[in-house]
Amino acid sequence: MATPETIAEQEGLQGINSDYTEKYGFHDAENYLYKAPKGLSKELVEKISEFKSEPQWMRDFRLKALEYFYARSMPTWGSPHLAEVNFDDIHYFVRASEKAERSWDDVPEDVKKTFDRLGIPEAERKFLAGVGAQYESEVVYHQINEALEAQGVIFMDMDSGLREHEELIKEYFATIIPANDNKLAALNSAVWSGGSFVYVPPGVHIEMPLQAYFRINTENMGQFERTLIIADEGSFVHYVEGCTAPTYSSDSLHSAVVELIAKPGARIRYTTVQNWSTNVFNLVTKRAIAERDATVEWVDCNLGSKLTMKYPSVYLTGERAHGEILSIAFAGAGQHQDAGGKIVHAAPNTTSNIFAKSISKDGGRGSYRGLLEVAKGAHGSKSKVVCDALLLDDKSRSDTYPTIRIGEDDVDVGHEATVSKVGEEQLFYLMTHGLDEVEASKLIVNGFIEPVVKELPMEYAVEMNRLIELQMEGSIG
Amino acid sequence: MTETLDICPLSDLPPGAARVVEWEDLEIGIFNCDGVLYAIEDRCSHDNGTLADGEVDQAACTVECPRHGSLFDLRTGTPKTLPAYVPVETFDVRVEDDMIKLEVE
Repeated sequence: MATPETIAEQEGLQGINSDYTEKYGFHDAENYLYKAPKGLSKELVEKISEFKSEPQWMRDFRLKALEYFYARSMPTWGSPHLAEVNFDDIHYFVRASEKAERSWDDVPEDVKKTFDRLGIPEAERKFLAGVGAQYESEVVYHQINEALEAQGVIFMDMDSGLREHEELIKEYFATIIPANDNKLAALNSAVWSGGSFVYVPPGVHIEMPLQAYFRINTENMGQFERTLIIADEGSFVHYVEGCTAPTYSSDSLHSAVVELIAKPGARIRYTTVQNWSTNVFNLVTKRAIAERDATVEWVDCNLGSKLTMKYPSVYLTGERAHGEILSIAFAGAGQHQDAGGKIVHAAPNTTSNIFAKSISKDGGRGSYRGLLEVAKGAHGSKSKVVCDALLLDDKSRSDTYPTIRIGEDDVDVGHEATVSKVGEEQLFYLMTHGLDEVEASKLIVNGFIEPVVKELPMEYAVEMNRLIELQMEGSIG
Repeated sequence: MTETLDICPLSDLPPGAARVVEWEDLEIGIFNCDGVLYAIEDRCSHDNGTLADGEVDQAACTVECPRHGSLFDLRTGTPKTLPAYVPVETFDVRVEDDMIKLEVE
C-alpha cells in the first residue's frame, strides 16, 4: 500500500523525469557585451585574439590552427551523427562579462542567478578548494582558497593564465595535444577561450577538489575551453568539471582540449560529470602525460549530449608511472556515447587500468573505443582493461572497439568485455524481495556502475546516482 | 659498414628546405636549419607521416609532422610533443666541396 512517503517519492521522481529543462535546461536573456555572428573566419580568429590582447605567438598559433582545421576533413568513423555538425551554424565567441571576477557579487546579475540556481556558490563554500565558472566563451568567476595561493598554487582561467604566466604557458601549451592532432583539436586551437590553468608546486597536496563549471546559454553556441594542468614533482590535485546547457531544438557544439602534465611522483585526478542537454555535440580531446612514478586518473562520466566522442588518454613516459581510466556512459533516446580511453606504456614497469561501463536504453547507443599500447622496451608493464555494457531493452545498442598493440614480450595484459541485458530473472528475484520493477532496475544499474561511482567525491556520487535515477525514469514498461 | 652518399650541391638545399633520399629500405630526410644540416629518418614514429613534408622551425631546430603535429628535434630525433613519443633515427651529414654527403650504415 502506498504510504504518503512513497507517494511523495514517486511524485518527486516523476518531477525529476521531466525536469532537465527546469533544472538545467533553462536559459537566460542575452545581455552580452559581444556576440559574434555565426560562422568561422580568419577575421573572427583575429578578433578573438585581439579581444584578449594576446601576444603575437598565440595569435600566430591560432591562425595556423585554423588552416589545419580547414585542411582536415571530418572524421568518418565514430558516429553517423558527426555528419550533422554544421560549422557554419555556430556562434564561436560570446562575451558575457568583462573579466573573471573573484567575488560572486561582481558577476553580472543574470549569470550569477544561473550559477546560484545550479548550486555552484554553495558547493564552493562547502567542499571546494577553488572554483571557476565559465559562461559561454569566457570564465566569469574564479576563486581559489587563499592558503593554497600562498603556497604558490595557480588556479585561474586560461585567458588570465596567458596574461600572467605567459612563459609557463608557452613552455607547455599544445605540447600534449598539438593543434594539428585532429580536426576538432585544430578548431579548439583556433578559437579557444576560457578553461582553466592550474599549476601545483612541488610537494603541494591540494586535499579538496578544484572545480570548474561550464555553462552554455545561447542557442547554436560553440564552447571551446582550453585547460592545462601541471602538477609539479610529488604534488597532488583533484580537478572536477561539470557542464550543462539549455535544451534547444537546434544544435550546439562543445569542443574542449584538456592537457595534463604529471611530473615525477605527482598525481592528478581529473573527474568529469558531463550532463549537456541532448542538443549538444560533445567532441573533446583529453590527453595526459605521466612521468616517472607519477599517476594520472581520468574519471569520466557521460550522461548528457547528443553525441559524445571522447577518449581520455594517458602516456606513461616515465618508469613506474600509473594510469587509470574509469568511464561511465549512459545513452538514452537519441544519444550516442562513443567513449572509452587510451593508455600508452612508453616506459618500463608502468601500470594501468581501464574500467569502462556503458548503459543503453530507449534506443540509445553506447560504444567503448579504446587503445592499449605497450611500446618496445616497456618491459614489466601491467595493464587490465575491462569494458562492460548493459542493455536495458531490445532497441538499444552497444559496441566495443578495443585496440591492443603490444611491442614487448615481458608484459602482463588482460582484456575482458561483457555485454548483458537486464534479465527478467534478475528483476523477478528482486521483486520477490518487495521491490517494484522500477526500483529493481535502478538497483541493478546502480550495482553495475558502483565501481566507478564510488571513486567520485561524495557530493558527486550522490549527484551521479540522482542523475542515473533521472535517466532511468520511464525506462521500464 | 659505413657508406657515404652524395646527395646534392649545398646550393640546392637552402635554409628551411628539406630533401628526401632513399637508401635500402629507409627514407631519410635532410634538413637545412639556418645553414646547419641535419638528417633524420623520414618517418614519424607515431603514424608514419613524412617529416620532410612538415614545417621546419629554424629557430627551434624542429620539424612538425604534417599528420598529427608532433614536433621533432632535428638535432636528436626526439619528439618534443605528443602524440609521438619514440625518437627517430639520426644520421651524420656534412658538406665537402659544396656537396652534401650523408653517412649511412
